[in-house]
Amino acid sequence: MRSLLISAVLCTAAVAAAQDLEARAVKADLTKDDPAAAYWASVPEVNVSLIGQPMVVPRPSTTTTSNLKVKVVHDGKRIAFRLQWADPEKSEAGRLGQFSDAAAIQFPAAVADFPPPVMMGAKGLPVHLFHWRAQYQRDREVGKPTVKDLYPNGSIDIYPMEFPNAEANQGLTAKDQEKFSPATAEGNPQAYSKTGVDEIIAEGFSTSQVKEGHSSSGTGAWRDGAWSLVISRPLAIEGGSTLTLGGKSWAAFAVWQGGQGEVGSRKCLTMAWSTLTLKEGP
Amino acid sequence: MSTVKNWQLKRDMEYAYDEARPKRQWAIVFDLNKCIACQTCTLACKTTWTSGKGQEYMFWNNVETKPYGSYPLGWDVNVLEKLGKQDWAKNGSYEGKTIFEAAPPEERAVHFSPTDEDWMYPNHGEDDCVGSQDSGGHVGALPHDKWFFYLPRTCAHCTYPACLAACPRKAIYKREEDGIVLIDQSRCKGYGECVRACPYKKSMYNPITRVSEKCVGCYPAVEQGIQPQCVVNCIGKIRTMGFINPPWKARKDNPIDYLVHTKGVALPYYPQLGLEPNIYYIPPIHADRDYLRQMFGPQVDGAIERYRTLAKDPVTAGLLCLIGSSDRIMHRFTVANGVATGFDERNTELVKVPVTEPIIERPAYDEKLETVRNNTP
Ligand code: SF4
Ligand code: SF4
Ligand code: SF4
Repeated sequence: MRSLLISAVLCTAAVAAAQDLEARAVKADLTKDDPAAAYWASVPEVNVSLIGQPMVVPRPSTTTTSNLKVKVVHDGKRIAFRLQWADPEKSEAGRLGQFSDAAAIQFPAAVADFPPPVMMGAKGLPVHLFHWRAQYQRDREVGKPTVKDLYPNGSIDIYPMEFPNAEANQGLTAKDQEKFSPATAEGNPQAYSKTGVDEIIAEGFSTSQVKEGHSSSGTGAWRDGAWSLVISRPLAIEGGSTLTLGGKSWAAFAVWQGGQGEVGSRKCLTMAWSTLTLKEGP
Repeated sequence: MSTVKNWQLKRDMEYAYDEARPKRQWAIVFDLNKCIACQTCTLACKTTWTSGKGQEYMFWNNVETKPYGSYPLGWDVNVLEKLGKQDWAKNGSYEGKTIFEAAPPEERAVHFSPTDEDWMYPNHGEDDCVGSQDSGGHVGALPHDKWFFYLPRTCAHCTYPACLAACPRKAIYKREEDGIVLIDQSRCKGYGECVRACPYKKSMYNPITRVSEKCVGCYPAVEQGIQPQCVVNCIGKIRTMGFINPPWKARKDNPIDYLVHTKGVALPYYPQLGLEPNIYYIPPIHADRDYLRQMFGPQVDGAIERYRTLAKDPVTAGLLCLIGSSDRIMHRFTVANGVATGFDERNTELVKVPVTEPIIERPAYDEKLETVRNNTP
């Protein structure tokens, strides 16, 4: 009995340790997100376990991504995470019913002795998320898709709002037309071209709001059935998560396989926070 | 999960949220015996709401030919098949499972996800008849053994919307003042859960704004006491929009309550799915009964019988004459001395129509105009 107990304790400790993260200091420009940069080779890799999101319906019926390989570096001002996971196909969304591959890192939004609830925080205990989508990266690289991009063979007679008015000899201005595109008119960030990473603040399920400002960035590369993605952010963010050298914080992760219809609450995620320590010096 | 009352099923059922009936409920009644599939309603909605980029394929109002037409392809057969065979009890209550009750634990509703291509054929099956006519154009037997009918559809602004239940962002809400179900265009993130979950497939994804959109019930008009675009532009005058009460609050002088509750000639479609949809149909009297029973439930036989005797029922006949006679929302109606009258919310008279149009006989040759008159039936 006694030996059983001990081994159980050891086991738990081993798992917990395996998922604790340490950010190594590097001398590099971390504003350039490069999953293939040389410095990653010198950083220990931590395997983080994910499971299909089990709480909120609709949810995935299986775990599509069970393992995430994580490496972390910082340069004293910025911190960068390299996340790698297997995904048999690259999905960038676009047409109806197509969803994007994506990943997110979550931090407590405020410095405290204990982290908020790991699943999206709770009222008064906000979390700060950095949500990268392949779709958003594509926006940055080649522009937000147009109707022609999505449906190259589509034939459209006219858009009434662009139709030249015989008297005025011109259609509505682009700004005027926006009023008739509801999500655009409402300023919904989804409707605008993205840069790669959305910063989000949440206080529990169904509460996430995209935060203004783009201090973070992300670049992923898909090759041979796997994504290699770097998400980086400043250590200190006003009104959000702040990390300090030598200090301890927490991080949690989520992954979506768009090709498997994963989006929103259909995702795989970590069920516990990983501690995150920022090592000083080289 | 909460237990809620669904009067269309004559029983309680499971739903994601508590019962919260709006102060009043937006509803449309369609007389399917009169629809001519002119698609004026479709275009009225299209030009009003969905002429922008990313909305090319969208028809918040569509008219499909039953049984072969569907937009998106196979929306009805797919959800019915997923739900499996279910039954109504002899007393008219539903014994089967709704899409909410039959859902696996990880889903809000039994559903199917239409593909992009499924939305590309809005006119698929148009005017396709069941069976082929051997010779001649006469269809002898009633109900017709060769049949089809037109089914105009908008969002049903359901009492228990599946779109709303499935949205993990809670970006969909049902308005307290009129029961209209809207997607918050500033909160939606385009997860498409509503597109998957709505069995009627009336929530649609806009690939340019990357969020979902749906029929807005023409709420800006409704707020001013005016009926929706697809209603006021109906060429066949087959539809009327008003407010429906649940049966325990039904008012005999409310046009919608009268047709649905008092007279029982208008029925919800696919009520067995469990959403308590708020578009109601007067069933087509000559179409196949088994098909109609599947679509409208066991009440369909009675509804058809009552509709067929309308000639002897001046009140219902008068009300049907009022349909399409005013752009404004009719809250009350009366029929007296061969005249039907509609009133608005403030009880101001909207319109008066004769229940029976006067018949005028004229000689075939008009002396004054020196011309022969043709009778064009
Ligand atoms: S406008 Fe009226 S008659 Fe014409 S298709 Fe629509 S519902 Fe039918
Ligand atoms: S018909 Fe569909 S989209 Fe409309 S309220 Fe009902 S579930 Fe929602
Ligand atoms: S009610 Fe308005 S928005 Fe809805 S289908 Fe009719 S015209 Fe379109």
